[in-house]
Parts: sequence; structure tokens; C-alpha cells
Amino acid sequence: MNTNTTNASAGKSPYVIEMRGITKIFPGIIANDDITLQLKKGEIHALLGENGAGKSTLMSVLFGLYQPEKGEIYKNGEKVTINDPNDANALGIGMVHQHFKLVDVFTVLDNIILGVEPTKYGFLTKKEAREKVLRLSKTYGLNVDPDALVEDITVGMQQRTEILKMLYRENEILIFDEPTAVLTPQEITELMGIMKGLAKEGKSILFISHKLNEIMEVADRCTVLRKGKYIGTVDIADTDIERLSEMMVGREVHFTVDKDESKPGDVVLEVKDLTVKGHSHKKNAVNGVSLKVRKGEIVCVAGIDGNGQSEFISAITGLTKCEEGSVITLNGEDVTKKSIRYKNTHGMSHIPEDRHKHGLVLDYSLEQNLVLQRYFEKEFSHGGFIRFDKIRDYADVLIAEYDIRSGQGPVTPARSMSGGNQQKAIIARELDRPHDLLIAVQPTRGLDVGAIESIHKQIVSSRDAGAGVLLVSLELDEVMNLSDRILVMYEGEITGEFDPKKTTVQELGLYMAGAKRQNGRGEADGK
Amino acid sequence: MENKKTFGEKCAAFVRKDGVRSVIASLISILGGIAVGFIVLLLLAAFDSDVTFSQALKGILIVIKGPFSSGSADNMLFQIGNMLFEAAPLVMTGLSVAIAFKTGLFNIGAPGQYLMGAMGALVVALSLPTDTIPSWIVWILALLAGTLLGAVWGAIPGFFKAHFNVNEVIVCIMTNWIAANVVSWVFLDTDFINTPETKINFIKKTSSNGVATAKLGLDKIFEGSYMDISLIIASLVAIALYIMMNKTTFGYELKACGFNRNASKYAGMNEKRNILISMSIAGALAACGAALWVLNGSQDFKWNTYMSLPAEGFNGIPAALLASNNPIGVIFSSLFLKFLNKGGANLSAQTPFNEYVSQLIVAVIIYFSGFSKLFRDMLAKKLKGNEKRDGDSLKAKGGKKE
Repeated sequence: MNTNTTNASAGKSPYVIEMRGITKIFPGIIANDDITLQLKKGEIHALLGENGAGKSTLMSVLFGLYQPEKGEIYKNGEKVTINDPNDANALGIGMVHQHFKLVDVFTVLDNIILGVEPTKYGFLTKKEAREKVLRLSKTYGLNVDPDALVEDITVGMQQRTEILKMLYRENEILIFDEPTAVLTPQEITELMGIMKGLAKEGKSILFISHKLNEIMEVADRCTVLRKGKYIGTVDIADTDIERLSEMMVGREVHFTVDKDESKPGDVVLEVKDLTVKGHSHKKNAVNGVSLKVRKGEIVCVAGIDGNGQSEFISAITGLTKCEEGSVITLNGEDVTKKSIRYKNTHGMSHIPEDRHKHGLVLDYSLEQNLVLQRYFEKEFSHGGFIRFDKIRDYADVLIAEYDIRSGQGPVTPARSMSGGNQQKAIIARELDRPHDLLIAVQPTRGLDVGAIESIHKQIVSSRDAGAGVLLVSLELDEVMNLSDRILVMYEGEITGEFDPKKTTVQELGLYMAGAKRQNGRGEADGK
Repeated sequence: MENKKTFGEKCAAFVRKDGVRSVIASLISILGGIAVGFIVLLLLAAFDSDVTFSQALKGILIVIKGPFSSGSADNMLFQIGNMLFEAAPLVMTGLSVAIAFKTGLFNIGAPGQYLMGAMGALVVALSLPTDTIPSWIVWILALLAGTLLGAVWGAIPGFFKAHFNVNEVIVCIMTNWIAANVVSWVFLDTDFINTPETKINFIKKTSSNGVATAKLGLDKIFEGSYMDISLIIASLVAIALYIMMNKTTFGYELKACGFNRNASKYAGMNEKRNILISMSIAGALAACGAALWVLNGSQDFKWNTYMSLPAEGFNGIPAALLASNNPIGVIFSSLFLKFLNKGGANLSAQTPFNEYVSQLIVAVIIYFSGFSKLFRDMLAKKLKGNEKRDGDSLKAKGGKKE
């Protein structure tokens, strides 16, 4: 090893980090209840649990963001107190966050040394830093150009930059918070290789995930949390996906979606030549996309994040404007220039990508959020006055039907609900509204398998009830499981259409990465 | 909380209510302001040989007793009457700021809207002939004219905010000074100005044209004061706004827009229109406050306003903050501010502290009232801390939530 870590007391304890009996209480909820986590040196240790199981809280305790009510943390057998992230860094604990903390307009090298810039007489001395970064990237196979601007490199490379950041700071304990959410299948394979390499070089890795197959592939051991409680730690070699998921959810989970063959009916949504300008005006974010969604089918737009899916959906729903020449038809009626309210009240339901930005008014209560598009309807208002009793009744029905859990029922502030239940509230609201077209953008993002299972069921039943579903997802499992037809979007264009039964994840991955393109879908690939 | 669990828990539950917490926070900030004001007086006493420490103590008591420290009973009633009358415009500007806040906008344009309202009301009240039109109709028309002008003036920053996303604070400040100059320019060399022999810097009183707000005998109760029904009008407006914000679909939209513009757009609300309307209402309220003030009939309006903006407009900000933007609360916070104001006046009248010191003390208390949100958050944090310590009892009760 070429890093000169001061690791004197190793050997005292088999565990490089040990969290014993951690209890963390928030008002009304015990986020961590007597949890023990033991991380061996050089192992990849997965931390598995549903949303709200307490994974993030536990990691925040380890990172010094929260102080536990009870419990102790040991490093190499010695008791330590971690009061803030600086303490954690000093102890060699580093974290790759789900959303990268990089400065887009800085180079990779600048980002890596940010905060620990080597200086001489107050001037930056980047030469040594550069050599160190190159050495590290060679040792661990982290292929990235130190002089490239972060905004110009792929998400996978950005993640590698984050990893290099930890290595540059000579961290020995690396926390990966759901690292695969933003990657293509190929990039995921690569990341798995990198993680294994890091472990082999003696780094200890905590891998937070709820993707079971990744845990099975890469982890040595796995600690499972459920509803704030410690369920157990298992050796991956002795277990399988079914058992892990049962530990996580507390019951059996069905991974495949049970659904009948789709029976496509009339066209409910037709998009012709939809074009949306890009932010930088260099390129169109969406370039002349046409598609049809029929009643009773689930059409999925697959692709890597940032290939125009968000802009495409925003234009259809009316959140952003599309260019002249684009035509959007809903139930045979041209709605290109119609307002969002018009579309909302004429059969369009929309589960938005960003539940905090668009989906909810976080300062409103759950019941107020459940009528966000309907508060003005006769059912809920009279002469301009809101009928609070009717809203309460309606909210009670939805809460029961969709199993939305919250601290104070209908009057709970949306902000204080867990992410999964916030999403359930949005889904309840959108599915319960009369709709012919359901637009769902990453409806299960950040949710656990139990919640995903129920949301998938609800989407399928919406289809079976005769709605057309336009699904945008970055999760290939979801794409393959749920859709009746798959369209791949790459750089603002549809580059391929697939039948999920006749294609593979690998094949889709090639189209998503732009390596392949179907004939008749724009220009053929020049290579 | 530790020793008396049941009572303590009851207290905690009571304090945990948002409204109660806001009131407590406001009280804390007021007490803090009074404490600092007292320190200022003590410091002055320490460094000024003319002033003694006992006078400092007497001084702060005078301030916090407001009009009740006025000496004689007659004088007290007079001061209370004026306090109630002067509170009315402040209630209106406070409401103006509060409503905008609720929609996520900072209406620092109240002074400009106030000036436009005063101008609109004065022009109509002084130019319509009261010998042909009944004076109460002129009064109503003048009030409406002022209010309408303010609505238009408030709509300007609203328009720029909604359609070009220009920060409303910048446009508000600019419209303030534009209003200050427009008003001076409109009144320059007109018959509205008092004759040179009297007060050349002031517009004629509306009573010169027989137009004045109804008094309903209130001026008899509070002998010699300006008291009229304007505070009753302002309070009714506050109640109407409370109902509008909390009970109507329109209020639901405005608040949604204030909390999360993107989500309200997603939900199909016309967020641009809402911003525009919210600012118009805010402008109308501030202007209506000014109209109530000038239409009292006995008030002097200084017309060459281009050098300064009316304090009443800015004071709407602390009035709104102190009330946590609750329309009903604004009535009380405005009364409180005017109460202090009277105390300040008595301070300079009865002690060696000059009027600047008394205004300073009042300003310190108002300044502290701006911290009410800070105290509210601190209170919330403190409660959380207590809950954490009570974690075991929580666990025992099975109070676990998803």
C-alpha cells in the first residue's frame, strides 16, 4: 500500500468500526433502536433496509451528524466520539453521497483537493496532488481524467471522482450511499469491480442499498435493519435473495409483477415531433420525439438520467413549453396549448419525478396535499369556501386504501412524513383522480421493495382499469418487469423500441449508452 | 417537566401547538426588547450626570405602561383614543405585509402603496363637491380611490415578479421612491395645498370639504382624541382576510403558491396570476390604511414626500412579524406597537430622556420583535430536546410512528 496511514492499534479488535447499541430517537419515532454494526477490515459490508428503516440515521450517527441517545462507537477497539463530520474525516471515514457533492465547473483534480488544498506560502501547489491522484487512480483502477471539467464527464466518472476524493483524504472506511442508482448496467459492473479492488487493498466498505442482487454480488456480509430495529447480520455466502428480502420486509416479497397480457385499446396520448430547447441552447433537450400510448398498455421510456426524459415529460404535462411544431394529443384532442389544469381535469394524472419540488406542498398537511388538484371541485368547495369536512372524509378513505402512514393522520404536515409515505400520498392522489392517462416518472425512486411491489401493483391495476400508462424509469428491473413496450431515449431522441419479453437488460444498456441505434429511428450510428 | 409529569406533559402539549408557540415567542421577544431598552436607559444614566438610575427605572416603567403612564385620567383617555386611531393604518400595512408573506413575497413596498393611497383618497375627497354629492358617498369613493390606486401600485412588483422573476424587493423599493416623487409632483402648485399663511407643507384637511370618517361618538368617549371607526374597519378587514386565507379555495391557492411555487404550478394553479393578485391585495391594504388616516378629517398630510417615506409603511413589517403573519394577530401587534409609541412620548415628556431616546427604546423593542421567528424556532428545538430525554416514556407508551 502506498498510503501512509497511521494505523497503529490495528489488531486489538477484529473490527475496524464497531457501533454498539446505537439508539437514536426523534420526536414520535425511534429511528435506531439498539443497533449494532460491526465492520471488519477489508470487507464489503452491506447495510440493507426499507425506507425509514434507519439506515441513513445510523450512517449520520457514524458521520457525526447526529448524536445518539445511547450506544458507543469503537474504532479498532478504541472508543471514539464523533461530534461532527470533521471528526469522522479525522478518523478516516469517508462517504460517497447519493447525490454527488461536486463543483460542476471545476476540474476533477480541483474537486478532489477541494477543502484539503496543498499550499505553499498561500499558493496552490497542485503538482504533488496531481501525482497522488494519478497514482491512486492507477492503483484502484479508477479511470478518470484529472483535468476534465466535472460537467463534461459521465455520471460514472463523477462517482469515481467522489471515490478518489475519499482515497485522497486517506480514508480507510468508505461509505457508499446507494451508489448504483444513477448508473447504467455496464457502469454498475465496473463499480462492483472497483469496490472489490478497494476491499482487496484493505479498505473497509459500508455499502448502503436496497438492491438485493447487487448486495449478493459484491458484499461479504450484510446487516439488515427493519423499522429502526436490528434484524441480523448474515454472511452473504450462506443466504439468498429471498431470505434477505424476507429479513428486510418481514414477509415474502414477489419480485416479478403479476400481470396479464396487455390489451391495447384506443390511443390516449399521441405526441408528434416534440422538441424542447436545452438549457444551454447548444442542443435540443428533446429532439422531435413522437410516440403513442394506448389505453391498457404500459409504455416505458428507459434511459440514463439526463437524456431528455424529464424535459420530455415536463413538456407533455405543461410544466415547460415545447417548441413550435410539437403536437400533443390527449384522447384525440389537441392539448398542446392547453393549461395544466385543463389537462389535469381532462384525464391526465401525473406522478412527478421530484416529489418535493412538484409533488407536494411540504408545509401543507397530508389532507391538503391529497386534494392539491381538486380543492376547487364541487365535492370539496362551496361558493369559494373549502369544505374541510369533505376533505377530511376523502383523506381518511385514501389513507386507509393506500396505507399511507403518518404521525398524526390527515393533519400530519407532509414535511414530517417519510419519503415512502410521501410518495404513497402522491400515488394515492393521482390514481384516485379519474384518469385515462397516467404519467409516472420514477414512481418508485428511493423506495424499498415492499413499497415498490405495491406501487407496481397499483400501476398495473390502473392499466387494467383501462388507463394508458407512460412510465419513465431509470431502473432497468422496473422497466423490464412493468412495461408492455419499451422505448429507449438517448440524447433527446428515441433510439429503439423493444418488447420486454424479447430483449435483455444488456441489450437495452447498449442503446441507453448510445452505442447502438435501431434503423429508422433517426440517423443510423456512423460507426 | 421531570418532577410533575402530568402537568408538565399538559404544558408541553399546549406549548407544542403552533399558535401558542407563536404567541409565547412574541412575548419572549417583547420582554427581550424591554430588557435591552432598560439596559440602554441604564447606560445613559451611567454616563449622563443629568440622569439618575432611579429615573432610568422610572423611564422603562413609563414606556411599558404606554398611555397609562400619561399622568391624568383625561390625558390617558386622550392618549388611548389616539392610540386606537393610529393603530388602524398600522393594522392595514401590517396586513399588507402579512398577506404577501403568506404568498411567499416580501412586500417592502408598503410605504409607496401607502403614499399612493393617501394621494388617491385626498384628491377625491377634496375635489368632489360635497354640496351636490352626500359627503358619506364622497368618503366611500375616496376610500375606494385610494385603495384602488394602491392595488395598482402593488401590482407593479407583482407583475415583474410573476412574469420576469424580478425580485419583488428591488421593484418594491424602486416603486416606493417613484411613489414619493409622483405624489409630490401631483400636488405641486395645486389648490390641494394649504394656503401659504397656514401650513405650506401640508395638504388641506379633508374636513375642509366636509369629508371625515364617522366617529359614532367614539371621540366623546376618548375626549379630544382623533378616534373614529377606522380601527373597527381595519379589524373587520383583518377578520375577512383571516377567513379568506384559511377557509377559501383562493386562500388555499395563495398559500400553496407561497409555500411551493413549483408544486402549485404542477397542480394546475395559475401561480403567476396568484402572485399578481397577492401583491395587488397587499398594495390595496396598505393604501386603504393611508386612506383611513387622511380621511379622518383632522390629519395633516405632508405633500412634499420625495425626501422620505412614511414610517407607517415600514412599521407594517414588524407588525406582521410580531403577529407571525396571522391577520387577527396583526390587530394586536399593531395596538401593542402604538401602545409603546405612547409610552415613548410620555417618557420624553416626563423624564430628562429626550424624544430621541424614547424613540430609540421603542425601536429596540420593535427590533427585537423581529426575532420572534428565531425564538419560535428555539422554542421548537427546546421542546424536541425535552422529547428526546423523554424517549423512554415514549417508548413505553408505544408512541412509535412510521
